[in-house]
Amino acid sequence: MKAIPSNNSSPGRGVMKLYLISGLLVVALMLPAGLTMRAAQAGWLPALPPDLFYALLTLHGAGMIVALAVCAMGALWFLIRRHIELNAPLAVLAWLLIMLGVVGVVVATLVGRFAGLYTFLYPLPFDGNWPGWSTGVFLISMVLVNAGWMIWSFQMIGAVLRTCGGLRGALAWDYVWHKPAFQAAGRQPPPPEALPAFMTGFDGLIAGMAATLLGVSLLVRWLDPRVVIDPLWVKNLTYFWAHTFANLIIYMLAALIYVGMPYATRRTYHTSTVLVVGWWTSMVLTLTNYFHHLYMDFVQPGILQYFGELSSYLSALPVTAVTVFSALMLVWRSRTRWTLGAIFMYSGLVGWVVGGIGAEIDASVPFNVHLHNTLWVPAHFHTYLLGGCLLFVMGWVFLLLESRSARETSGIMRWLIAALSFGGMIVFLLGFYFGGAYGVPRRYAIEPAPGPFIAQFATIGAVIMLIGFTLAFIEGWRLRWNRADDRPLWPGELTEEASHGE
Amino acid sequence: MDAAEKLLLMFFLLAAVATFVFVAVAWSTRLPEQEQAEVQHRGYVIRGRWFLGLTLGLLAVFFGTIPFFPYLAAAAALQPAEKVPVIAMQFAFIMPDHFPLNRRILFEVTSRDVNHGFGIYNPEGQLIAQTQAMPDYVNYLAVTFHQPGHYTARCLEYCGVGHAIMQKDFTVEGASPAPAPMPMQEPSGTNTVPSSNESNPFE
Repeated sequence: MKAIPSNNSSPGRGVMKLYLISGLLVVALMLPAGLTMRAAQAGWLPALPPDLFYALLTLHGAGMIVALAVCAMGALWFLIRRHIELNAPLAVLAWLLIMLGVVGVVVATLVGRFAGLYTFLYPLPFDGNWPGWSTGVFLISMVLVNAGWMIWSFQMIGAVLRTCGGLRGALAWDYVWHKPAFQAAGRQPPPPEALPAFMTGFDGLIAGMAATLLGVSLLVRWLDPRVVIDPLWVKNLTYFWAHTFANLIIYMLAALIYVGMPYATRRTYHTSTVLVVGWWTSMVLTLTNYFHHLYMDFVQPGILQYFGELSSYLSALPVTAVTVFSALMLVWRSRTRWTLGAIFMYSGLVGWVVGGIGAEIDASVPFNVHLHNTLWVPAHFHTYLLGGCLLFVMGWVFLLLESRSARETSGIMRWLIAALSFGGMIVFLLGFYFGGAYGVPRRYAIEPAPGPFIAQFATIGAVIMLIGFTLAFIEGWRLRWNRADDRPLWPGELTEEASHGE
Repeated sequence: MDAAEKLLLMFFLLAAVATFVFVAVAWSTRLPEQEQAEVQHRGYVIRGRWFLGLTLGLLAVFFGTIPFFPYLAAAAALQPAEKVPVIAMQFAFIMPDHFPLNRRILFEVTSRDVNHGFGIYNPEGQLIAQTQAMPDYVNYLAVTFHQPGHYTARCLEYCGVGHAIMQKDFTVEGASPAPAPMPMQEPSGTNTVPSSNESNPFE
């Protein structure tokens, strides 16, 4: 395995910066959109008409999912490029397609008032009170996003296959089943970050193919209204794609934990048999979990409902017993410097686990009867997208900034940012959990009681959280401003370690 | 303690235990440093037990929840019931206004346009049963109302800009006559096994 030198002007860093900056910019625009909707549900913005509310909800959902995915894709692309040469223009082309899709979604929702939501369940996109062209623009935009995603997935799979010498190497098959011979031959298993890269690339391609089928079907229906599609078939396809894509974001970001946490804790992390088997398991279960979205569709074949619950439960095993547990072992009695980067990344693990607990409760059929499409659903996915994925991305960005900065964030500033960001986030998320437990439906522009009362607390929490994020942005800017060019470039030194190990 | 409070308590307990573990591990960095090899040696033992315990625990919960699944056995589906069609459309439900107490109702739920949800809220505002209302399909939902009063059916699947106003109030009374049958088209697709809220832990 040949290491690729990395420096600030290298294409690897350039691609990562492009993805990270654009992704975080979209996140920054989507946060106030979410706050606006919560304030409207609280009754504090009565002037927000339902068509604008639902157009904003569509924009917020699609925008956030795509933005966080873009951040994760850029960071993982960079990590893989440390091991093998990757075509940067192709990555830029993928980014361009995705950004074109984002612009299209903005036009469809804010100009065309398309409000079919991010999940756009057939036949709603063609039965709304928005103009037909906005449906077309939205669908074409999502197809563009999917095209960019598939290019990236191809690149990741190709890179890992080339680096590891084929499928057996990428899956670390011989490392797991013939370990003594494997080690005696002086062979090395894939680095930890290659496992999420291959898994997300592989599952991403399968989900991308489903999305292509879905997109083409709906576009044909858009062009010819006489076309009829089976609603159950398209519902399965929609959730298979949407659930898998949303799930893969956090699996991509696991690679940042494998590289970021050892840096923060000053310890090392290597591929192990348990890690490999854990990723095999995740690779399968991520594709079969989506059935829990159809528990309340009693026409769905019954066996799939049982399988959906079992699959959803088992997906907790590789996450908690491998990735999260490994991170805890890295931190336990280590010399961790609790910089903002380390705090964000470590806190993201809490969000992942707590969001996972909420998800597992919802994935239990008897509870789902009372929680399906209530605020419990946004409760758990906001916990792991906002309190997990976004914090992992922020942690990664801060670790990069801190590694090159002559400035050190003061203790007061760290506490202030952490207290405001996490305190506000907890209050904001509790609003969803309480609302869900009391049966308040999700996606209601005007909620029944006790929804508006709960939304008031949630709005205050969201404002506090955004103040914390703003302070974090200012601190990040100051770290960047005080950059020390003579400092070793992180994670550049890890590349050297990798090349020495050969 | 009502069902919502029990649910929140369960979630908060699990979340608190998980958060406590993270805080305790973070706190351990204040203690003297331990060699990574030593941490791993002990950690792998704990991880093995955690893996085994979690696997067995999750499997136990899975098998424990099966009796509470709302998908009825074929024998239960054949029990006598008052069949009541429910037609969802943007943005209303076509269904009766009154239902009898303590009588098994078999809702035949479908949609005339897009996907909708059919969620039943009891007089206390608790969501007691639901299914999806899909075009071209009929979902069967068996419910027995044990409590008289004013109930509300709400749409629980986003169906357009009027989604939040799509609801239907109905009453459950002891002496109410059986709801009159309503004309509806024969669905093009059905499931063969009705579903029920009759054995769920919330009731």
